[in-house]
Parts: sequence; C-alpha cells; structure tokens
Amino acid sequence: MDFTLTPEQLLIKDSVARFAQGEHAGTDKWAQFAELGWLAIGAPEELGGFGGPLETLLVMEQFGRGLVVSPYVAQAVFAGTILRAAERTEELQRLVEGEERFAVAYEEPHARYDPAAVATRAVRAGDDYVITGEKVRVLDPSTANTLIVSARTGDEISLFAVPAGATGIAREPYAAEDGGDVANVRFEGVRVASSALLGPLGGGLALLERGLDHATAALCAEGLGLMSTMLEATVEYTKQRQQFGVPIGSFQALQHRMAEMFIELELARSMAYRAAMTLDEQRADPVARRRGISAAKVQIAKSGRFVGQNAIQLHGGIGMSEEYKVGHYFKRMSIVERLLGDAGYHLDRYLAARAASHGGQTIAAPARDPVGASAPTRS
Amino acid sequence: MDLAFSPDELAFRDEVREFVATRLPADVRRKVQAGDHLVKDDYYRWHRILHEKGWVAPGWPKEYGGTGWTPVQRHIFQEETSYGWAPRLMPFGLQMVAPVIIEFGNDAQRARYLPKIHSGEEFWCQGYSEPGAGSDLASLATRAEKHAGTYVINGTKTWITAAQWADWIFVLARTDPQAKKQEGISFILVDMRTPGVTVRPIETIDGGKEINEVHLENVEVPVENLVGREGEGWTYAKFLLEHERTGTAGIAGCHQQLEALHELIAQNKIDDQRLEERIAQVEIELEALAFTELRTLAAESAGKRPGPESSILKIKGTEIQQALSELALDALGPYAERHLAPRYFNYRKTSIYAGSNEIQKNIIAKRILKL
Repeated sequence: MDFTLTPEQLLIKDSVARFAQGEHAGTDKWAQFAELGWLAIGAPEELGGFGGPLETLLVMEQFGRGLVVSPYVAQAVFAGTILRAAERTEELQRLVEGEERFAVAYEEPHARYDPAAVATRAVRAGDDYVITGEKVRVLDPSTANTLIVSARTGDEISLFAVPAGATGIAREPYAAEDGGDVANVRFEGVRVASSALLGPLGGGLALLERGLDHATAALCAEGLGLMSTMLEATVEYTKQRQQFGVPIGSFQALQHRMAEMFIELELARSMAYRAAMTLDEQRADPVARRRGISAAKVQIAKSGRFVGQNAIQLHGGIGMSEEYKVGHYFKRMSIVERLLGDAGYHLDRYLAARAASHGGQTIAAPARDPVGASAPTRS
Repeated sequence: MDLAFSPDELAFRDEVREFVATRLPADVRRKVQAGDHLVKDDYYRWHRILHEKGWVAPGWPKEYGGTGWTPVQRHIFQEETSYGWAPRLMPFGLQMVAPVIIEFGNDAQRARYLPKIHSGEEFWCQGYSEPGAGSDLASLATRAEKHAGTYVINGTKTWITAAQWADWIFVLARTDPQAKKQEGISFILVDMRTPGVTVRPIETIDGGKEINEVHLENVEVPVENLVGREGEGWTYAKFLLEHERTGTAGIAGCHQQLEALHELIAQNKIDDQRLEERIAQVEIELEALAFTELRTLAAESAGKRPGPESSILKIKGTEIQQALSELALDALGPYAERHLAPRYFNYRKTSIYAGSNEIQKNIIAKRILKL
C-alpha cells in the first residue's frame, strides 16, 4: 500500500511547478510544452511517450496551483486521448512533437453536455464526407490546425479530423470568464476526405467518451490545484489580517470554516487521485470508468464551490477585488466545475453507471474493495 | 503509487472473510444486521471466538497476545469483521486500558490485567467524562486522596458506555488539586465491585440504556492500582487519543448502512428520484472518504505515526453515518419503521463522542493549518 510518487514523477511535478509559479500569462507556451515532453504524457512508448493519467494529474494540479491558462486539457489530453484510442499514430506523433494541434468540437446547442446529442451530419459524397452542423463551446480552437468533429453517419456517431482552415467553417469566438479561448463553430457543407474518419465508422461515441473521461480527470486535478492555492491564501491571510487587536485567524468561527475547507480539499484530493487510478485500472470496463470519473467530478464540483466561496468570504472586502488573486482562482474553479459536464450531469451519469453495473437493478451495493484491491498487483 | 492489496493481503482478506462467515454465531449476525441492541453475552461469545483464534487483540505487542499484523492487515480485519456483520467489540478494555497498562504500567499490572482482558473474563469501561467535564476533560473534579496504602476516590463519572456490564473501570482522577489542571491527574484502576461504586443507567432518546452515571463515594482503591506515576494521567490519556487509529471513521459500517438502505428501497419498491440523488451524493462522499482512509493507511504502512488527519475521518465518517440514518428514515416517510427512528436518534451521539466534531475542527485548525 503505497501513496508515494516515483523519482520520475517527482521530477515532472517539480518542473511543472517551476513553470506554473513563473511568468506564464499571455503567450502561447505550446512549443515549450513540447520541448519539456509534457505533450508526450500518455502517448505510446514508440512515439517517445511515457506515463499516463497520474502524470497528467501531476501536471494539471500544478497548473491549477499556478492558475495557468493553456490549451493543455483540450488539445493534449482530450484530443490526444481520442487520437490514441483511434490508433492514429501519425497524428499523435505530430501532436506529441508540437507540429500539429487538435481541438475537439463535440457539443451542440441543446445537448447540455451529452456527447450523444449530435445533430451535425456527415454525408458521404463520392470519396468524401460533407459535414453540416453547429458546435458550441469548442475549447481552444484558435490555435488548432485540426478540429476533431463528431457527426452523425446514419444512426451512429463518427469522428472526423477536419482541417481548421477548410472552406465552410465559421467561428464565433466569445470571451470566457478566465480569458480562455472558446468559440462556437458552424460547419456549412465542409468537405473532407474519407481518410479523415477517426476510428471505425459509427464508433465515434466510444472514442469521445474515453477522451471526455481523461479530460474530466485532468480537470479534477486542476480543481485540486486551484483549491489548494485558495485555501493556502486564505489561511495565510487570516494569520496576517488583524482586527480587534488580533489576527482574525484566531476567531473560532473562521478556524472551523477553514477546517471544513481543508476537509473538502482532502476529499477532492482523494477523488482526483482515484479518478486517475480508475482510468488506469478500468481500461476495459467503460461503465466502471464512467462511474469513477463522474463520482470524482461531482466531488470536485462540490468541494471547489465550497472552498472557492469561502475563500472569498474569509478574505472579506479584498476577496471581491479584481486585483487580488483569489477572485481569479474562484472564477476559474467555477468554470472547471462546469466544463465537459457539471455536477448534475455527472450525478445522473454516476447513477446510470451504477445501475448498469448491476444489470439495470436499482439495488447497487457500493464497491467494498478499495480502487484496485481486487485487481492483481501490477508488475 | 499503488493502493491495491498485495496477493498476500488478498489471501489474508479471504481468510478473515471465511472465518467470520463460518464462526460468527448466526443469532448474533442477525441481531447486528437488524440493528438490534446486543446483550453482554452476544459480545462475550464473539470475544471468546476471537480470543481462541488469537485475533482478539490486533493492536497489542505479540508478547502479550497481539497478532503481529501490519497496519494493512489490521485494516482488513476491521473491515471484514464489519462487512461480515460481526459486532464491534467494546474498545475500553482491549484498545484503551490495555495499551496504557502495556506502555506505562508495571509487570505486576500487566500480569494481573492483560490476560483477563484478552480472554474476555473481565470487562472494562472508561471513567473519563464528568457532568462538568466533557470536551474540557482536563477540568475534571473526581478526587483521589492518598491515605496510607489506599486512594480514596470521590466523584461522578458520566456517559459511561456499558458500565452496567463492567467488572473494572479506569478512572482519571485528580490526585493533586494544587497543580495546574492537566498536571494533577492520575490514571487509576478501580474494581466495580468496590464498596461505594454505584451505577445508574441513563436512558437515551432512542430508548436504550447503553450509557450510565457512575458515582464514586469514598471508594478505597489499593495504591498498586495507580498506573505509571501520579500526576501523569493526562499524558496517558493523550497517548490513547493518538493510539486510536482510523477505526473511528466507521467506513465499513457506512457501507453496511448503505447496503441496508438499498435493500430497504428495493423491498418496499420505492421509486423516488430525489432520494436516489441524495443517496448518490452520500455514496460519492463515502468513496472519497474511503480513499482518504487508504491514504492514511499507506502513510502508516510507510512508518508515519497516525496524526491529526484522523480528525478528518472522524468528522466526515460520523457525518455520513448520520446522513445515512436520516436517509433511511426519509426513505420510508410516514411508515418509518421501528428500527430506523431509534437508529437515527441514537446516531446523534456520533458527532458528539470520541472528541466532538467541533473539537476535531479545533484540532485541524491548530495542528494542521497552524492557526
């Protein structure tokens, strides 16, 4: 029973921490990410890849701690996982090397997070497909060379790699609360070669869900980092700030509130790690994977809201100022809470997965064994 | 990083599971499953079975009858006995007074008391809280005055679980009223049959009588019954608090409660989406807490002493126990069964005992956040 990091993992953690605590605002650091090897996390060894969900967690936790705004989750984790699952080695290699950048366009206007709610169509035309539809809230599309698009082929859903500059693509960017790059993207008769099909025809939903699960786990890790900084800042502030002749951190009401924030943080930490381990252990069982990831997102959403709201509260007036950092962390946390599925969506998903793993019955004894306890030990 | 059990640990788990399934008396299992009150003999029979197996005192050093298990094995044992519906043995003898006697007592005391705690022949209760000393235990007023070869003890202890069954009570009493409050306290062992010891049951809101007041009126106790040194009782009491491990989270018990709740819903064909969502929320929090417990177990396995992180387990574990008792009640609505309401009322104690949740938050604030 071991909850420690390997020397290699500690190295990654330290190098990301250094980056995240430094000056990283504004400029696109993608080339730097490629150079540092962070785009290779989770990729196959043949492509110079290493590590997996746990290494992604280490990166994202530090990004969260340092409030790094970057396309990493959308372009490295989400898109990268899809390419890996679709066995698109060439594209993946270019991603890892920083040569080609991919964003994922899956969500639709009335979908409310459901990746299966797709009306966008891809119609066969000779040796090509013609794609028509509307995608909303595409993450980090501006720097992407290629958009991974979900579309209906017949009754099923397929994924296509669409060049970002293709004719018929119209983008409508909007300003996200955290300054991130988000856009609605319309496809009007966009023509792609049949080789643009990613994975099997009609097999897009499974690929998309795997990508979403990995990206969600990454967001859980980012949330953990955001919460850590918010709590640390709050504790530090209440030790310094004096009123009535004493540090306000000596008041029991505030001490208890911070103790409660700490508990929420630790529960979030457990679930972020559990999510990463679930991805490793439930490769073959999408239902178990879904259940583990959705549970984690529900917890992170709850903890994040509690820690964030109370961080502002305990800072008093300055917590409300745009100048002070806690507000920025709180805003990013509020976004992370809702990205790729909010607590309500994931609670439903958790319930469905729980029922599915018991043959559709509502009786569902919770897992008795710790994550991985029944699995044979890995070598 | 690997929280999986090793093949040996899995084999051990199976061994414990098998043992509990075959050796726990069926009537005791039924009572525990139904949430019924257990009588002394129920605990005693299970205690004897564990004693004969050599498994009754996992936390003791091997030389006194302990098992020599690793922290992970102790955790597995605790979980599997709970999952198998075995009663949780009262901790006062096995897990509270015995470690103090082992650590701070003398050879004569170890020889006199440990074997009978181990065998179950003598049953203990804890004499700590007083009407005027709960969270502020150090303000206790029970006096032990030394006269020739005896201590004469006067005072009242309260909220004492199972005093009505106990043969012995370990008492924190003030031997030096002049000293600073923590420094004048001693740890003394008292035979419940000593003249002057009176037990009065306290009926609780669930209708049970598991706790008592114990009056000590001129109770004469040989000085040999002092454990360690006079005035060091507070140190021994603190040692006990650190010695108590992750068990207080009661996570396996929560899983049992959840299973029973799902059973209840299925049997009564309750179709309530809002209830399902509330249950799922608690389930998720329980998964997070169980993983947190594993993290502390991993730290313990790596040699770290259990620390203030156990406060997280205590606070959240008891909150979840209470939430589940509430959900069971809500599930049946106006038809809330006889067993459910008493359980709900009884469980209000969990956030109060073993260091109230407010005290636990003080501990987190002071010792972890350094406020």
